[in-house]
Amino acid sequence: MADVIWCKKEKGGKACNTVNYLDPYCFWNWEGKVNCAECGTVYFIHMIQGHMYIGPEEKPGEKPDKMPLYADKPLEGYVNYRPGTAGKTAPFECIPRHFLLGKADMVKFSIRGRPVRGWRPQPPSAGTAGSFPYKWDIQKLSPEVWQEYQEKKKKGEVKDW
Amino acid sequence: MAELIKSKEELEEMKVPYEEYCRKAFAPGKEWEKSEALKGIRWLSCTMYIFTPHSAANLAELGAEVIKIEIPRMGDAMRHTSPFNEAYLYPLHDTRPMTGTGFGFLGANVNELYLSMDYHIPEMREVFYDLVRQSDGLTELYRPGTFDRWKISYRTLQQINPRFIYVWGGGFGYGPKVFGGSYDILGQAHAGFASITGMHEHMGGHALKSTNWVIDWASGTLIAYGVLAAIHWRRKTGLGTMIEFSQVQTPTRFSGYSVPLYGRFGIVRQRWGQWDTQLCAHGIILCGKSDYPDAQNPQDKLEARYVMVSAFNDPDFKELCDITGQKKLYDKYKTQKDRVEALAQVEIYTALEKWAADKTRSQVVKTLTDAGILASPVMNHREVYEAGHMRARGTLRWLEDPLFGDVLLQSGHSTGMMTKTPRRTNWIWRPVGADNIKIYRDMLGKPISKVEEWYAKAWI
Repeated sequence: MADVIWCKKEKGGKACNTVNYLDPYCFWNWEGKVNCAECGTVYFIHMIQGHMYIGPEEKPGEKPDKMPLYADKPLEGYVNYRPGTAGKTAPFECIPRHFLLGKADMVKFSIRGRPVRGWRPQPPSAGTAGSFPYKWDIQKLSPEVWQEYQEKKKKGEVKDW
Repeated sequence: MAELIKSKEELEEMKVPYEEYCRKAFAPGKEWEKSEALKGIRWLSCTMYIFTPHSAANLAELGAEVIKIEIPRMGDAMRHTSPFNEAYLYPLHDTRPMTGTGFGFLGANVNELYLSMDYHIPEMREVFYDLVRQSDGLTELYRPGTFDRWKISYRTLQQINPRFIYVWGGGFGYGPKVFGGSYDILGQAHAGFASITGMHEHMGGHALKSTNWVIDWASGTLIAYGVLAAIHWRRKTGLGTMIEFSQVQTPTRFSGYSVPLYGRFGIVRQRWGQWDTQLCAHGIILCGKSDYPDAQNPQDKLEARYVMVSAFNDPDFKELCDITGQKKLYDKYKTQKDRVEALAQVEIYTALEKWAADKTRSQVVKTLTDAGILASPVMNHREVYEAGHMRARGTLRWLEDPLFGDVLLQSGHSTGMMTKTPRRTNWIWRPVGADNIKIYRDMLGKPISKVEEWYAKAWI
């Protein structure tokens, strides 16, 4: 596990009482300054193997090196700061690669260049499974793929094997 | 004797007409011009995964009308399991347009009609009985007593239809371990099959399961033979049969002499993997160089290095030793009896691999076949696809599936050709419940309002 910074800084006569989560991925072995997501108080910490070796020590007037992953206020119900909240919690810097974003490539043609069907999403013209006609007429139901197929045929990209 | 020996030319002459005869008689691609052996048989398939579905698909390929009955809105679990789940052909069902069916489902459910029904609820029991009255048989795969508890086991159904043939494809079947379901890998393990697959541990091997679910596919095919025998029996007697088929027992059938060996000598058979316990040389060797060193795909770049070689009789083995420069080996192991000894095999295959270490797979195959020795590259499935032999015989073929378009598949010709009543693949599968109207309304005569009501309740 990693540690948290429970910020008790008083502001306006009231304790901040925000729990800032220091995710192990970033903070497991780390030395530097981190802010409270709620009140912005900057703390110096030195973590070794997930344990708070030094700190948190307030560093008034200094800028944080890193923001916490997530923060919440357990004494106030479910108030929280989600990851990626601008100026409060750490931004996402690791955007998934395109092929991990869940957008499927639509395979329209088999390896010999003839049209395949049954892709996702189905065009609305396909109807529902129970109302499927016996044969999917590609010219009527997927005219754009049909058009592409005609062009492939002209270019000689459609083969028997 | 001399006049019986024919020249190469004479043999060629004899071969050509027979080749032509076979090409015309089997005519891959013209199956649809011929009859269907099992036309008129109607079969119910209450099955999942591969083992039992494949048994019904065998009947459907031969022309039977097979009705696959699936769980409403969800279908056969195999649609969602393998490989990479349901990421291929959409939609699965009216209510789930963004869920599809995975390719693992392919081949085990061809040509079937797709009905959805929750047959375990009492409300649908009479409808199920109606189907049984109009059908010749059923295949189910549930755990022991499940169908009996639901009042749809053979005990009940034979009262409704005495001609009914009933297949229970149980995992373990009845008897000890009565509560066990099964999987292919469980069968390979339970029947000792995995213990004799793969190399011996001191050669770096382990007990192996085959990558594909061979026991599922083979057991399903064996069930189909039982069904055909039961149909023949029924023609003579007018009576149905119950077939009980335990998947985990099947691999004993494929274990050869292992069981009698133990029975007579108390010897527990060992794994011998790439090699053969009965013949040597008769195994697979690794060559040093790939046939496709520049390929991107590792299956080509790294794996295209194996050669199957067979030279187990004395003259062939002598030739093998001559061609590979291993004359000493031949002098040492002149007879088959000498060669099949374990240590001899280790020495022989090690020497062969040493010889092949600086050669590509195709160099090795060419050298050996030019010398008249049987050798073949171990092909990957791209190469299988490109093999003229597979294409010419219609074993691998392209199908224009009515719903899913261009699909490459291994056709029913992989299980043997027939001149008069060949197997055929009309379609690979259909969505869950795609034939509900056809069966509930057109076949059983249920009013469409009833069908709609059942649908709304998710009973179908």
